[in-house]
Amino acid sequence: MLLSKRLLRRCATALLGLLIAATPALAQMPGQDLGAQTMRPYRFVFIAYAIAWILVFGWVVSVARRLSHLARRLEE
Amino acid sequence: MPSKNVRTAGGVMAMLGVVGVLVLHWMVFFWTPTEANQGIIQRIFYIHMPSAVVAFLAFGIVAICSALYLWLGDDHLDQAAVAAAEGGIVFTTIVLLTGPLWGRIAWGTYWTWEPRLTLTLLLWFIYLGYFLVRASTENPDRGKRFAAVVGIVGALDIPLIHLSVRWFRSLHPGPVVIKPEGPTLAPQMMTTIMVGLVSLLLLFAGIFLIRYTIEVAKQTLDVRDQQARV
Repeated sequence: MLLSKRLLRRCATALLGLLIAATPALAQMPGQDLGAQTMRPYRFVFIAYAIAWILVFGWVVSVARRLSHLARRLEE
Repeated sequence: MPSKNVRTAGGVMAMLGVVGVLVLHWMVFFWTPTEANQGIIQRIFYIHMPSAVVAFLAFGIVAICSALYLWLGDDHLDQAAVAAAEGGIVFTTIVLLTGPLWGRIAWGTYWTWEPRLTLTLLLWFIYLGYFLVRASTENPDRGKRFAAVVGIVGALDIPLIHLSVRWFRSLHPGPVVIKPEGPTLAPQMMTTIMVGLVSLLLLFAGIFLIRYTIEVAKQTLDVRDQQARV
């Protein structure tokens, strides 16, 4: 009986400690689980580099199309 | 097709830039250490900061070429200014889109109206205005002159953007590379940022040269059309 009470108290303390440690992390982005929060920076880094690639690639394609259009017109 | 050598040089530079950007990606994701305070999100820095430098350089070229165009009246200077302005808009857009992603994690918000962010957005609008002014005048020469004035005035925003973090209380961190006391980055981070800078500069220079030949070709066609009408 005494052992189970002590075990219960230890479990409660451990749970309380875990909750206190997790609260700041959970409070940062309400409504999201911890897994999503941890993955978020990785997703944002990927999106940032993808945006850079898309914009530069779009610019290159646009320049190439205008160049070939003008080349055709000059050959006419 | 005129300026074939310029176009070839541009193509070579752009290809070197692409190779550099691929090396940059390897360095960013597999070589550079993760920053201790911000973690993985700080890796946006390696595309954000070089893009800003390239954008400022592009708008610097616009201002210098525009001033010289107003002075000398040489159309080649206006053509170089247009080519640089287009690159400047592309790289400023990268800065304005990658910054908020970093800010959302680092500051807890995508956007805040603090001086550096606001002035950068203003720069983007000024150069958007540069193209609108060119396109909205009936007399092309007049449009070029008006746009040149916008190009010069817009460049005045660049030193303000750079110095705003020193002059005003701001959320945006101060410079870590371009500062009088020298850079304060870890050696591996410094090497990565330098590779990023060189790669994006080569990429910009290459596409800028090709874009310039397009403007030259357009003028050749305009002259030919005018002669055909006469």
